[in-house]
Amino acid sequence: MNLEIFEQYNSGDVLWLGDWGMFWIVALLVIGVLVVGLSAYDLKPLKPVRRWTLVALRALVYLLAVAMLLEPALDLKNVSKVKNNIAVLVDTSSSMQLKTLEQGEDDQGSSRYELVSSFLPEFASLVEREKDAHEFTFFSYGEALAPSSRQALEKSKQPTAHSSDLTQALIGLKKHYEGKEIGGVIVLSDGLDSGAIGRRTKRGEELDVTSQALLAELEAPINTVAAGRAEGLKDVAISRILHEDFGFVHNKLSVQVELQVIGMSEMSFPVTLRREGQVLQTRQVTLEAGKTRYTVDFEFVPEKIGKEIYAISVPVFEGEALDRNNRGYFLLKVIRDKVRVLQVVGRPSWDERLMRRLLKRNPNVDLISFFILRTNQSLNNVRQDEMSLIPFPTQELFEQELGSFDLVIFQNFNFGPYDMRKYLPEIEKFVRDGGGFVMIGGDLSFASGGYARTPIESVLPVELPPGSGDAVIDKDDFRPELTEAGKRHPITQLAFDPATNAKLWGELPEQKGTNIVLDAKPWATVLARHESLTYAGKKMPVITIGEVDEGRVMALTTDSTWRWGFEYLGKGGTPREYQLFWNNAIRWLIKDPELKLVKLEMAEDTHTPGSAVPLTVRVSKPDYTPAENVDGELEIVWRSLDGLSSDAEEQREALPSIAFKTGASGVANLEFVPSKPGAYELRAKVSVADGELEDQSTMLVVDDVREWRDIIPRDALLESMANLTDGEHMALPDASVSDFNFAEPRAVKINRRKVIHLWDSALTFLVILTLLGAEWTLRRRWGRL
Amino acid sequence: MHRRDFLTHGLASALGVFGMSASALAIGDDDRFTVSLLKYSQQGWNTRPTALRRLLQEVEKRTSVEIKPPPDGDHVTFGPDLFTRPMLFMCGESSFEPWSNERIDMMRQWMMAGGFLVVDSSEGVSDGPFLRSVRRELARIFPDEPERAIPTDHVIYKSFYLFNNDQHPYAEPHGRVEVDKRLRGHFDGDRVPVVISANDMLGAWARDGFGRWEYDVIPGGSPQRELSFRMGINLVMYALCVNYKADQVHIPFILKRRKWRVQ
Repeated sequence: MNLEIFEQYNSGDVLWLGDWGMFWIVALLVIGVLVVGLSAYDLKPLKPVRRWTLVALRALVYLLAVAMLLEPALDLKNVSKVKNNIAVLVDTSSSMQLKTLEQGEDDQGSSRYELVSSFLPEFASLVEREKDAHEFTFFSYGEALAPSSRQALEKSKQPTAHSSDLTQALIGLKKHYEGKEIGGVIVLSDGLDSGAIGRRTKRGEELDVTSQALLAELEAPINTVAAGRAEGLKDVAISRILHEDFGFVHNKLSVQVELQVIGMSEMSFPVTLRREGQVLQTRQVTLEAGKTRYTVDFEFVPEKIGKEIYAISVPVFEGEALDRNNRGYFLLKVIRDKVRVLQVVGRPSWDERLMRRLLKRNPNVDLISFFILRTNQSLNNVRQDEMSLIPFPTQELFEQELGSFDLVIFQNFNFGPYDMRKYLPEIEKFVRDGGGFVMIGGDLSFASGGYARTPIESVLPVELPPGSGDAVIDKDDFRPELTEAGKRHPITQLAFDPATNAKLWGELPEQKGTNIVLDAKPWATVLARHESLTYAGKKMPVITIGEVDEGRVMALTTDSTWRWGFEYLGKGGTPREYQLFWNNAIRWLIKDPELKLVKLEMAEDTHTPGSAVPLTVRVSKPDYTPAENVDGELEIVWRSLDGLSSDAEEQREALPSIAFKTGASGVANLEFVPSKPGAYELRAKVSVADGELEDQSTMLVVDDVREWRDIIPRDALLESMANLTDGEHMALPDASVSDFNFAEPRAVKINRRKVIHLWDSALTFLVILTLLGAEWTLRRRWGRL
Repeated sequence: MHRRDFLTHGLASALGVFGMSASALAIGDDDRFTVSLLKYSQQGWNTRPTALRRLLQEVEKRTSVEIKPPPDGDHVTFGPDLFTRPMLFMCGESSFEPWSNERIDMMRQWMMAGGFLVVDSSEGVSDGPFLRSVRRELARIFPDEPERAIPTDHVIYKSFYLFNNDQHPYAEPHGRVEVDKRLRGHFDGDRVPVVISANDMLGAWARDGFGRWEYDVIPGGSPQRELSFRMGINLVMYALCVNYKADQVHIPFILKRRKWRVQ
């Protein structure tokens, strides 16, 4: 073998190519020991020199034989070291735009990013110095990690990422270098991390276990360079608004606002909560020396169902680093928890009884009943305290608490004896503002109850005749006849199939008389008419509904619908029809969203400018089957946020409408891209045979200001990351690239390799034969066979 | 029915042609409140024929309820008519034959739909043959709901008049006699669809055509009869308003007034 060959290699190993398991190796060793032991025992009579010579020859032969079985080889390599990777991560989130001031410096200081970019040229010498051991790669990170270059990062003067997610950046880094060695990481940032590490680790706390594990996974020192310092920073920021996404109407809601204040002198300032631009509550915050975090709590009661935009604002003080974080917005979806119903009854009756039973049994109804059990005409021969009667709390009900109800039922109730005339305008206002109202017939209702020419009549869907008493009541039995609208309307649709519905209405027990009303109001819809009574050539309305401004009303001129729920059973019917009729009526009166024929839906209510918002419009026919090929239009009105968070006049702008047509399933899928921040009122309109139907919704479009909610640099967070990973921490502008700590490269590169087999040569065979021959010869000579 | 144009009625009313008082009216007379006896067997169902008319007169006098006075002995039988009367009384003093399964089903359906039955024994004993027959049938109607004493804080004792609690002697079903100090009944949830009295309340209410009480009330005389009417009115109010007086809004008023006692 030419020995020059070894000069070409600088590393080598012995390999064992024989595929022997541990069991066989151990077995061969045991056999070897036995062979040597038995030989020594067998040769005991010989002189010790002769004896151990023979034993040594036999052991040598055995060892050589075993070595042949194990197939030894020489692995010669020519190797060189491989450079590991150094990742330089530069925070390009918008908080890096903020100025960093030295004490006493004016506001012309450098921004955090400018500090970083002026430091980056120093990396040129570092890269050159470490070129044999490390490969440097530059990245920018905001919401995500992006490869970049030192030159590009130096030139970029205006970082604009909406957030800085260091957690995602480190995860991305690990993926980027999968299978490669990372020798170190350098993070240049202000430490404001909106990712998991920053969220989990509060100021003043140690890194949490999960964050520690994430950093450890990199298996490399993380060097951190803090850009920016808290000294000289002046700011009042709404750092968090803790609120529910939805609330229940008339139920108290809490909102917690977290403020971060720095650089302000001890003083007080207001924190204002506005609803749709109107000031709802104001809380005063008093600043204390050395304290940067403050919490303000608001409690309020949403009064209307729907979407409302709330704004939190604090004043903007002179010299603040940022004024964008002095306001915050959120959209609250106000829903109904229970339907609050006020049932006012002029006298107990079976009609009242079944209505109360229906309402009480409905778990979604919160019922407040007031029945007039005794009038001034009733004989009173007992003391008041022997009766369970309570005063009729008219003021409390119709002045103070009226707004808390969703639906008011006047069931055979006359207002006259209870000094209630002064509250009738309140009831009218309640309806016009969005409440539901139903008047049910009886001898104390409609004209008989004295409602003609009162504010109540103005919201009733029927005209009342003049006069009172017997003349405005008809006592004959009758059966209501459904109108065309009534055949399709959900209130009077007791069965899907029109023929079945008509049959059902024909079978229901007759009504025992009716209040007399004139015609329906022009804006009203008559669902059922009297079979014989007429006015001006038209049959008298019996079931009439209508919408008055924001509210909905219903007039039912009989007091016998209870017979549908009781007497009908004696004729083989069920109470289902009575229950369905009234439950549907209540749902319609309270504007149950499920009964809308047009529904405008969006998955989320809050968006950022420029993001596409998917919208769905569902259109149903009156029988609630999908309305196919219906043309519609989505009207969009933009409202400025300034008007919602300050006393500034609200600006409104109608944006171009979006036309749509429903598909086979009655659905049209739209997309809208809001271009600028604001509140967007969306109104989907479709034209159907009976007129125009619409649904509306609101969405809030705000800039992503997560980055601005906390602007005090987190030097300590960066330092703890460096300490944990054996990296170095330094702060700009005093940082030096010479101080970074990197891991030495661990990997090597094999340039050339040669494997020489040691066992399959003739020489090895001859040695074994020679040894065997010598052992045989000596043994014979020394008198052993 | 002939078609009528009611505009003329309205105008006539405005001119005062029909000058009746509205407060005396109900839409149809059939919708005024009335009660009847249940004719549960061929004989013995009508032991107190005049009582209900007298009770309803008191109801009309003392409350805002508009009544339709029933003729003496007004009754309904098992059939569709049952479902025109959500409140029925059942009185008697003798046993009766078991009802058919059809009738049992019908009574169960009537009660579950909201019907309210008051069983009042005319026997003057707490466990006479009539009540035994009634209990036999009620056990078939409510196989899983045994008869229970109605608690003294039940809304029946405060639906119009206030009756006191256990510490006072008046939380009981006063009638012609006082053989059972508790009203009993079967429950459907918190509602009592059937009330059983052994004290002959109808006997205390019965009055002949000349206005004379038909039966003496023992042992309490007139105050006992007054309390019996109050109990009757409370039962009517319970039938019409169910648990209205158990609503939260009434509770403070009722608690404040519960210290009274009839002398």
